[in-house]
Amino acid sequence: MSLTYIEAIHQAQKELLAESPDVFIYGQDVGQFGGAFKATRGLSDEFPGRVVDSPISEDAMAGMVIGAAVEGARPILEMQFADFSSVAFNQIVNQAATHYYRTGVQVPLTVRLPSGGTPGSGPFHSQNMESLYAHYPGLIVVTPATVADAYGMLKEAVMMDNPVMFCEHKFLYNWLRAEELKKNALPIGQARIVRSGKHATVVTYSAMVHEAVKAAEMLSNDGWEIEVVDLRSVKPIDLDTIMASVSRTGRLLALGESYPWGGVTAEVVSRVVAEGFHLLDAAPMRLNSKDTPVPYHPDLWAAHRPTPESIVVSLKHLLRL
Amino acid sequence: MLQTDDAESLAQIHHGFRSMVTSRTLENKLSSLYKAGKIVGGVYLGKGQEAISAALGTVLERGKDVYAPLIRDQAGRTAFGEDLLDVTRTYLGKVTGPMRGRDGNIHRGRPTEGMPAMISHLGASLSYISGMLFARRMRGELHDAIGAATFGDGATSTGAFHEGLNLAAVEKLPVITLVVNNRFAYSTPNDRQFACENLVSRAEGYGVRGHHVDGTDFLKCMETMNIAAKAARAGEGPQLVVADVLRLCGHGEHDDAKYVPKNLWDESRDCMDVAEQQLLEKGFLTPDEIAAMKEDARLKVQKAVAVAQREPTPDPYQDDWSALGS
Amino acid sequence: MPQVAITMPQLGESIAEATIVKFLVQPGDTVEVDQEIIEVETNKATMGVTTLCGGTITTFHVEEGVSYAVGTQLGIIEATEEEVQATGVSPIDSNTAAPEKNEQELIERTLSHGDNPAIAQQSQMDVPDSISIQPNVQGLPVPVGTKGANYISPRMRARMDELGLHAADISAIQGNGAGGRVTIEDLEAFLVGIEEWPKSKASPMRLAVADAMRRSWTRPLATVGMPVVLDKVLAHRREQNPKPGLTLYILRAFALALKEDPTSAGYLIGENIVHPKAFDIGVAVQVADGVVVPVIRNADAKTVPQLSAEYAELVEKARERKLGKETFEKGIATVTNFGTFGLVSGTPIPLPNETLILGLGAGVKKPVWSDEANVFIPVTTCELVITFDHRVVDGGGAGMLLQKIRDYLQQPEKL
Repeated sequence: MSLTYIEAIHQAQKELLAESPDVFIYGQDVGQFGGAFKATRGLSDEFPGRVVDSPISEDAMAGMVIGAAVEGARPILEMQFADFSSVAFNQIVNQAATHYYRTGVQVPLTVRLPSGGTPGSGPFHSQNMESLYAHYPGLIVVTPATVADAYGMLKEAVMMDNPVMFCEHKFLYNWLRAEELKKNALPIGQARIVRSGKHATVVTYSAMVHEAVKAAEMLSNDGWEIEVVDLRSVKPIDLDTIMASVSRTGRLLALGESYPWGGVTAEVVSRVVAEGFHLLDAAPMRLNSKDTPVPYHPDLWAAHRPTPESIVVSLKHLLRL
Repeated sequence: MLQTDDAESLAQIHHGFRSMVTSRTLENKLSSLYKAGKIVGGVYLGKGQEAISAALGTVLERGKDVYAPLIRDQAGRTAFGEDLLDVTRTYLGKVTGPMRGRDGNIHRGRPTEGMPAMISHLGASLSYISGMLFARRMRGELHDAIGAATFGDGATSTGAFHEGLNLAAVEKLPVITLVVNNRFAYSTPNDRQFACENLVSRAEGYGVRGHHVDGTDFLKCMETMNIAAKAARAGEGPQLVVADVLRLCGHGEHDDAKYVPKNLWDESRDCMDVAEQQLLEKGFLTPDEIAAMKEDARLKVQKAVAVAQREPTPDPYQDDWSALGS
Repeated sequence: MPQVAITMPQLGESIAEATIVKFLVQPGDTVEVDQEIIEVETNKATMGVTTLCGGTITTFHVEEGVSYAVGTQLGIIEATEEEVQATGVSPIDSNTAAPEKNEQELIERTLSHGDNPAIAQQSQMDVPDSISIQPNVQGLPVPVGTKGANYISPRMRARMDELGLHAADISAIQGNGAGGRVTIEDLEAFLVGIEEWPKSKASPMRLAVADAMRRSWTRPLATVGMPVVLDKVLAHRREQNPKPGLTLYILRAFALALKEDPTSAGYLIGENIVHPKAFDIGVAVQVADGVVVPVIRNADAKTVPQLSAEYAELVEKARERKLGKETFEKGIATVTNFGTFGLVSGTPIPLPNETLILGLGAGVKKPVWSDEANVFIPVTTCELVITFDHRVVDGGGAGMLLQKIRDYLQQPEKL
């Protein structure tokens, strides 16, 4: 059985709906239409009344699923694009994220955020929101990079009692394919060494994992062995795996597709420097997208985000080549 | 019209009025505690809004219905069954309260007992209440339970209010959306807040039933709320209730409301006085009974304050600084 | 009777103080609970301060027309025990009943969140004890390892890298930073100070020697010495054609002595001693502006006469700088004949990759008493010194090694 990343998400949702009567999916066009990316294709027929079209009201959609979660449901809120979750920002960061701390009542909510750029998507259908949500106490933020993680982490996320921001990458939806669906995935909160090496560590997540591996392969022709760490979840962040890797390599490149000001890569660098200053052979580096909105034209878009080539340039600088 | 010989209705009226009296007594005490330096943060009162608030709290059934009060709903909260200790403990920041010192004043609730704790962002509670009802309906557990969320005139200008009411209407959820138009959003008067003649006209636009009531008229408030609740329980979808009052205090107790024109004060009437007069006139209560009710409220409030004052505040060294549950 | 404080309330967010407009009651007056007793004004509104309980006003500590910080004790109400019980107020401790009109205290009270003891306690803990912690960096104690010039901060190191400086280069600088650290400012001042001095460019050879010596000097090195009679060696040498250099005899004796005790030439790495694989001994040759150390391979396996020609050629080529890189590699110890410069004693430094260096002082003719002849007889002696890495070899071991070399030198035919 061969499965794409988006099919894995579909599969996970189908199983979740079947396994728990508390699970429902809410979002724009998720019903009969099956979702803008077909993540819910056929599910509204299979699970009547539990895969429900919403009005175009991200704020109210988020508020509604929060209320439902407080009542014991396990809603999956599909944002049509991660970008649109900015309209629901208040409900997510002020209502859902503060709920447990304030009242002691957990909000078992999963918000699916189709994230990241694809060619031609432009400024409002390409953004990565993980850094923003990770900033707020009370949210779990996951960024699956593989088909297995898209499946396994979604299933875990929905059954968690804390609100989870599930940042799925649109570029991986149909491009990434796995021959089988591994069901013994690592739990949320643990990073994974994608590729081991001894000269430098790249800490990254989501689609950038694949770009980092390509860059590492390019450098391996010259004898450089680059270790690639896939964070899997950016919050909680698996500092142990990061520090272990940096202690092996002495060099760190934090790589992310989101905007460069602050964010996950800054957090990684800051934590490594604070706790492992003595482990470093070179000043740690960050590589993110450019500090502009995400451009529309494919050529501009490709140059806006980190590429294997730009990652190689950064790594060469890090290795002082 | 309300059936005055109906024992149940009379019980409702007594309950509503008692809640009003308790609320006013409690709020006066809270104001005093604030002005004596005992309360950190703000104190936000519902003076002048007790009748409509208590009417809503009275028609809701605790343990079945869900209710998202806002900042001027002490009367509604009390009518719904909120423990006075929840109020005093939260205002005094006591670790024994439902918010354990993590949130204060009107930001309190018990979400699993049908009363969410409001956030400061106006309008946000409408979709939350809808979600609670949606989840129950999905699981076949709604039966004839209803929900209610309250707002001021200012909150009707938010996107969240619009989105929430529209969503509730689309889903045909039994939500009473109470808008208490108290003329001022902090200091902003109605003519800087909305341009329609009356907020109840918006009901048509949302495809929901609208009710308009004089919020100072307690018996009318009870009647309107009973009608709205009955319709909601009968599956007629969201009910928009708009009540007109004047806020008889500042936005908070730090605000002396000098911006309210004098003629408005002079023309206004206090729903407490109106209610008392109505109940006496109709013979629903005697002067002695009312006096006893007030004394009872005074003692209960005094006790709730005294108990809470003696209780511990949270210890920063012992508190669980975790924003996530296990 | 219990005394209850009248406190300036927090009349609005971000309000820090309020002005007393008017007292509505006077000391001695009886007041009820929740009674407004003082009218105060903030920049936002006018308000009445209320009582927490009924009782008698005993005193006001404040004056009309003056502003006081939020949390200030404005006065005292004396209340009955029953009233305190009924209202739940906390009476004030009689020890702290009379507040001073001390501005600093008011500010501290405000900063420490009024009467919250936990936060007040935390505020106190934040104040560093400036007496017991000296010096400090941003309020934190300096750990032992960072004191003095041996700690070089990343910022300092970066500047030194830029200037091509090493730790040894800044040893002359007295640090003015925390704990005696040398700061960038100290370094720049030092560099400005030496600007007016005459300077010349160090040759690559000089820099290479400097680097090797600097690295070697990171170890605990010690030197011991012993006089050796050279007459037998000199006699043997006179019989050879061509005559081998005196240094070669010493080198050969050194190699044979090490062969008996190879561990003493071992190199300590972590928890292991790396033993010599072959007895390849280097010889220090002075060249223009430096020293080179070509290595004689398997010095234990060939005699002095056999090595003589090879040795002469090696030294000659070294002086002409015609030796390849490999000639200088993989020695296990070195011999240096500083006696050729007329020096009788010295403390040579081993190469950074070697544990031992053997030094040879200038030969000196001395009268030595002979018990057999009952007269002084002239003998030629020299000082033989050995410098060793004290992590690997001790003084006794080094002495034994010198004794063995001395004994070989008394039997030159075995060399």
